[in-house]
Amino acid sequence: MIEITDLHKKLGGHPVLAGVNLRVAEGETLAIMGPSGTGKSVLLKHIVGLMDPDRGDVIVDGISVPSADREGIGEVRSRIAYVFQNSALFDSLTVRGNLFMGLPPGACDGRVPECTAMARTALEQVNLSDDVLELLPAELSGGMQRRVAIARAIIGKRRYILYDEPTTGLDPINATRINELIARVSREVEATSIIVTHDIESAFFLADRVVLLSGGLVQAEGTPDELRETDHPAVREFLDAAPVAGVA
Amino acid sequence: MSVAELLARCGRAVRGAALHAGRAGILFFVTVKALGRPRAWLSESFVQAKRIGVEGLGLVLLMGALSGVVMAQQTSNQLSPGLPVEIVAGGVVAGMLTELGPVLTAIVLAGRMGAGIGAELGTMKVTNQIDALLTLGRDPVIELVVPRVVAGTIILVPLVIMANAMGIFSGYAISTTLLGLTPEQYASGARGYYHHGALIYSLVKAVAFGFTITFTASYVGLRAGGGAAGVGRTATAAVVAIIVWIMVLDVVLAPVYKAVT
Repeated sequence: MIEITDLHKKLGGHPVLAGVNLRVAEGETLAIMGPSGTGKSVLLKHIVGLMDPDRGDVIVDGISVPSADREGIGEVRSRIAYVFQNSALFDSLTVRGNLFMGLPPGACDGRVPECTAMARTALEQVNLSDDVLELLPAELSGGMQRRVAIARAIIGKRRYILYDEPTTGLDPINATRINELIARVSREVEATSIIVTHDIESAFFLADRVVLLSGGLVQAEGTPDELRETDHPAVREFLDAAPVAGVA
Repeated sequence: MSVAELLARCGRAVRGAALHAGRAGILFFVTVKALGRPRAWLSESFVQAKRIGVEGLGLVLLMGALSGVVMAQQTSNQLSPGLPVEIVAGGVVAGMLTELGPVLTAIVLAGRMGAGIGAELGTMKVTNQIDALLTLGRDPVIELVVPRVVAGTIILVPLVIMANAMGIFSGYAISTTLLGLTPEQYASGARGYYHHGALIYSLVKAVAFGFTITFTASYVGLRAGGGAAGVGRTATAAVVAIIVWIMVLDVVLAPVYKAVT
């Protein structure tokens, strides 16, 4: 379980998170949506210990991330996979090398055939053939890079998967494919998923529960149906503005 | 500008320098500590050493050859009538071993290897690859910094030896073809001015410069920000910082020459 309590963070003197409280249950798929620049990615980085809060706490399976020592942070990270907005594949490594990096350090020492078999399975799960194993990330399309990033996240069978804007920068067809892929992967690997997105369709399609983050605070939360029906002004403003933004 | 503004600027500059010194000190400490886990960085160090050595060799040999030619000609130009022409060979040998070999090799590699490491790590930083390493439970210092620092520190030794040898050989070629020395005179002069201490001094500098180039480039690269333009600025900043540090180290190491000769 992930529990976030009274999380505060200022960046450049500007408050980005101003007392966020959130609880993510085991096996749940939670979408955090909100306008750009409202601290959605910053929130994810706090969960995995890439950022330290000014105040508040993030507890992952009983470990307080901000106060954890090196071993504690290592333990937290061994349970969490992170899919970055721009895929963040290592461009000096082949797809095989990138997927091996998703396994625990040293796991492939002397076990390359076994690891390669795991890499093939992970690629299969994201609908990629093993023809791409020896390709470099630069030789892949944006959609394929995103799939490899998801494969790297699931190969290590971690308990939590954090997706940071997984469909940003993709065309509508590829964005839909990635959404369907995330939904299927979430079911198959039985991981707890947190998906940060400003794409309402993605959030409602993927999540069991949706949170609207705005002004550094959780403004509303509920199931996709509950949020669609709510009269909460912040939710209405965000949902009503979205189609206009989509047309623009 | 008022006195208060001037003082505030000075204060910010001092604070910035202190922050850099502190961060670089921490990176140095972590890098040295990581050396105790050779299994984690040894194989990547070989890859980096091969890359640095192969990519830099041609340029280093060219610079060594040109340095030897210039050194021989300039020494010859300074000779007053009546002085033994063997001094030309002495000038080449002493100049190459103590200064031109290690310093020019380091400056060439600052442009090539330093900019490359700075841009590579800078790109990794701005494209979240460093964060990705962290979330995957890897240590960027062990994965990225230590192999480059070890490789650069070691590989500069043979590169400087080759630059020195190339300079002495090109000095021989120009001296015996254009400056009127016989092969025997050049050999005699070279032998007369050569001593092991100068070679040791040359290699001490190679090690110090190799470490400085790779460590500084890694430090600057890991602090990159600001997208593609930021990576460009990082590569430039890495080269400038490395060249300044090489020259500072050259001054600091000058007394070592006395100690080893």
